[in-house]
Amino acid sequence: MGIETDNKEIISSIRENAKWLLSENQVDVIIGYSEGTVPLSSTPIIIRKEEDVDKLIWNNLCYINLARYLAPLMPQLCDSEGNSLKIGIVAKGCVGRAVNLLAVEKQVNLDNIKMIGFNCNGIVNRSKIDLEIGEKEILDVSISGDDIIVKGHDWEKKFPYDQYINELCKVCQIKSPSATDANCVGECQELESIHDEFSDIAEFESKSADEKWAYIKDALQVCTLCYSCRQACPMCYCNLCFVDQNMPTWFGKTTQFTDIFTFHLIRAQHLAGRCVACGACSSVCPVGIDLNIITRKLEKIAKERFDYTSGLNAETIPPMMDFKMEDEEEFMLEED
Amino acid sequence: MPNPYIPYITKVKSIVSENKVNDIKTIELEFKNEEDYKKFDYVPGQFAEISLIGKGECPIGIASSPTEEGTIKFTIKKMGTVTSGFHNCEEGDIVGVRGPYGNGWPVEEMKGKNIVVIGGGFAFSTLRSLVIYLLDEKNRKDYGNITVIYGNRDPGEVLYQDILEEWKKRDDIKVVLTIDREAEGWTEEVGFVAPIVKKVGPSSDNAVAVICGPPIMIKTTIAVMEELNWGPEAILNSLEARMKCGIGKCGRCNIGNKFICTDGPVFSLAELKELPDEY
Amino acid sequence: MDQKILKKDQIGKLYNELVGEYDFYAPINKKGNIAFEKIENPEDIVLDYLNSKIPPKSVLFPQNEVLFEYTLDEKDVEITDRQDLEQKILIFGIRPCDAYSFELFANFFSFHGDWKDDIYLKKKENTTLIGIGCNTPRTTCFCTSVNGNPFKKDNMDVFLTDLGDTYLVEGISDKGKGMVQKLSWLSDASKDDLKKAEELAKIAEESITTKIDVDTVVKNLETCFEHPVWDEISESCIGCGSCAYFCPTCTCFDVIDETDHYNNRGRRIRIWDTCQSCLYTLETSGHNPRDTKIQRCRNRIMHKFSYYPTNYDLLGCVGCGRCVYVCPANNDLRVILDKINKIEEKEDEKVVA
Repeated sequence: MGIETDNKEIISSIRENAKWLLSENQVDVIIGYSEGTVPLSSTPIIIRKEEDVDKLIWNNLCYINLARYLAPLMPQLCDSEGNSLKIGIVAKGCVGRAVNLLAVEKQVNLDNIKMIGFNCNGIVNRSKIDLEIGEKEILDVSISGDDIIVKGHDWEKKFPYDQYINELCKVCQIKSPSATDANCVGECQELESIHDEFSDIAEFESKSADEKWAYIKDALQVCTLCYSCRQACPMCYCNLCFVDQNMPTWFGKTTQFTDIFTFHLIRAQHLAGRCVACGACSSVCPVGIDLNIITRKLEKIAKERFDYTSGLNAETIPPMMDFKMEDEEEFMLEED
Repeated sequence: MPNPYIPYITKVKSIVSENKVNDIKTIELEFKNEEDYKKFDYVPGQFAEISLIGKGECPIGIASSPTEEGTIKFTIKKMGTVTSGFHNCEEGDIVGVRGPYGNGWPVEEMKGKNIVVIGGGFAFSTLRSLVIYLLDEKNRKDYGNITVIYGNRDPGEVLYQDILEEWKKRDDIKVVLTIDREAEGWTEEVGFVAPIVKKVGPSSDNAVAVICGPPIMIKTTIAVMEELNWGPEAILNSLEARMKCGIGKCGRCNIGNKFICTDGPVFSLAELKELPDEY
Repeated sequence: MDQKILKKDQIGKLYNELVGEYDFYAPINKKGNIAFEKIENPEDIVLDYLNSKIPPKSVLFPQNEVLFEYTLDEKDVEITDRQDLEQKILIFGIRPCDAYSFELFANFFSFHGDWKDDIYLKKKENTTLIGIGCNTPRTTCFCTSVNGNPFKKDNMDVFLTDLGDTYLVEGISDKGKGMVQKLSWLSDASKDDLKKAEELAKIAEESITTKIDVDTVVKNLETCFEHPVWDEISESCIGCGSCAYFCPTCTCFDVIDETDHYNNRGRRIRIWDTCQSCLYTLETSGHNPRDTKIQRCRNRIMHKFSYYPTNYDLLGCVGCGRCVYVCPANNDLRVILDKINKIEEKEDEKVVA
């Protein structure tokens, strides 16, 4: 009865902690998830009163990374003078990673943030389920035991949970926020590093350049450049994104493949060593594009070359923004 | 049905610097085809989408008056990619022009009235068009007293100095120039536009006021005008916005249900009070 | 008899007969997303679908479109206008909500000022719509709340009803009737066919579960511009472009010049844009009339349910529900409209911001 039971416990723990934080005046507002109005979704919600804590839920469809609302800090989380309120944030592991990394990058002040941590048990892969169901309307999605039950008008289908969660969730090792008691209530841990074989991407890595190119080209053919992926990413907080620059204009904004590919490639580069592997980018994509294979590769490079995993604490600077004397420079200097 | 996005082709006839720091220039354009010039039938207060083809397009108010025949003029401040491109233009360069767009100053309804023209800084360009139009010998008799109040930061910023000198010599127009702070050699008024307007105290009796300038100047001036008993239907503003098509199709210049490019850019204060505070 | 029958296995024949004269657009499956694209192979046509993910506005108002092309030399510029606007276009399989959106597009592009968007209007003139009624509307559909209907035939040229293995074919407009006549190989419809079609229409209309009191929404929007309800409405929005891009009635676009400096040529193009982008109203001076998310969210709702009715006496929404199931943050339009409806009820809480 694993997942279903776990969820009940998670919900109860989130609500208890939320209530406690509000009653002790440790936070002014709490941002969490509420029941979605269409299947396979959830809606981010802000609550301000203890009696509203029952609106907070957890249902394996909470794919938005709530840290996204912290940078830039949205007006609903500020007081009338534009200063940050004390914010409680329902935090699965990757939300915790994002909050930590935003603190390192000086986009949030941890003094204002209290994470409500819990052990995340994964996010359902929306586009995989959509693809399996095809052109029938899904009316309800629920977890029963260890299965995902998908119902329509006159049909029902079952999917084994562990096969139908996001690929990133399958290999996730940071299920609760890595934070101290000072910043986190509920479940949290203090991780110094993780061990990751990255065996899930070994097969893709072994493909030829042509095969990899074909895969990426095929995945991106439906992209409409709606920028949902960029907007949902907690680490994409630039005031002026590189695609929007026009003095000078660096890149085109049409949906010709060159422009589409360039956007995704450069965005991935800007996230090298910074991505928190939340998978929000692929979960939110309206046309179901999943390029998290690139996300995993970026994480692997950061780990192998710099022994870095993003968001484990609020101190370590990501490798692309820092240097150490012992950094290898074999790509810059020729051996004498 | 012609493609409304295709510009007329014009050539740069002259390009003149208007201010000391050299970031405002007036560009004079000559249409390649005579028929295009005839089609470009404009009134003061309208604007055109002018482009450096290959670089981009921007909406600029027409600085010349339709009574200045043969060419059209635009005063452009160097601010972004396209405007910087214009500043680097030379005689003979090609400039695309689409227009004229917008409603312009209501010169017909203004007939028989006294006109008060209040401008601040670089926004004076469509006011230049209006005043030259009003002063033209064909039109002058149709209008009452004309008062021009024009404020700038310092003497080096005053646009159209040659035209202003001509106006000062005339006895059928009153010209009041002011700068923000005292400056050596400046013998005229000193002070922000709003208090100078208060000093001049234009009467609202059978009169229309036309105000163009930075938002803060407009706000303070309107407050003064209201003190002087001016009604909101008699105060006209020309608004600005980011524009792309100029013809009410791309959607971005709306205030409430009106588009600045087609329902404006000229709006009376009475009309603006009906619209959301979004500009 | 005016009503005809088209067997589903005759779609290929229909395609082959019309493709010589028309650019034939129909729904295809693009990696799990239904979209209207130009058909090269009739086997690609999908007949079993609820509605396309990408709205068919993309056929006449593509995401990138050339306005004109130019060549540059030393001191001259030569402009070439669009040459392809006379090409006849056929869109097969469009739903009534989307067919209506084409009318709204045409209305908007002929309004405002003396200039009409001739690029769009010319293409629309040369377009024939063969639409299909919705036997099973989605729970997110609310066309009946916005003057629509799953079997609305008005905006089509030819209307099809899905009877199972066949379609009932009815010519609606003169253009459509002429087309049906030309397709002389279509068999006649029987009385049973007509009866079944009527029943399906009735069932479809009754199955629409989402009902919204749009009249109250329009009325409330006249006075609630500064109401704090917009804070709540814009809370979860992440500011992407999905609602606009997937909306069949959103028309906003950006204009950019793309120049190939090596070959001294280029084109001025327009691309889809969205008022939800923080740069939408940003002026070069740095001033931005809508620099907060709240203002931008509010603008979209006001545009569709207040400015549109004020300017054209029409609603700017066709009730297709795409924005509802596509929004990454589940900022449900039906919930938004419900909140606006409830404003009057909480009069005592009203605060002018």
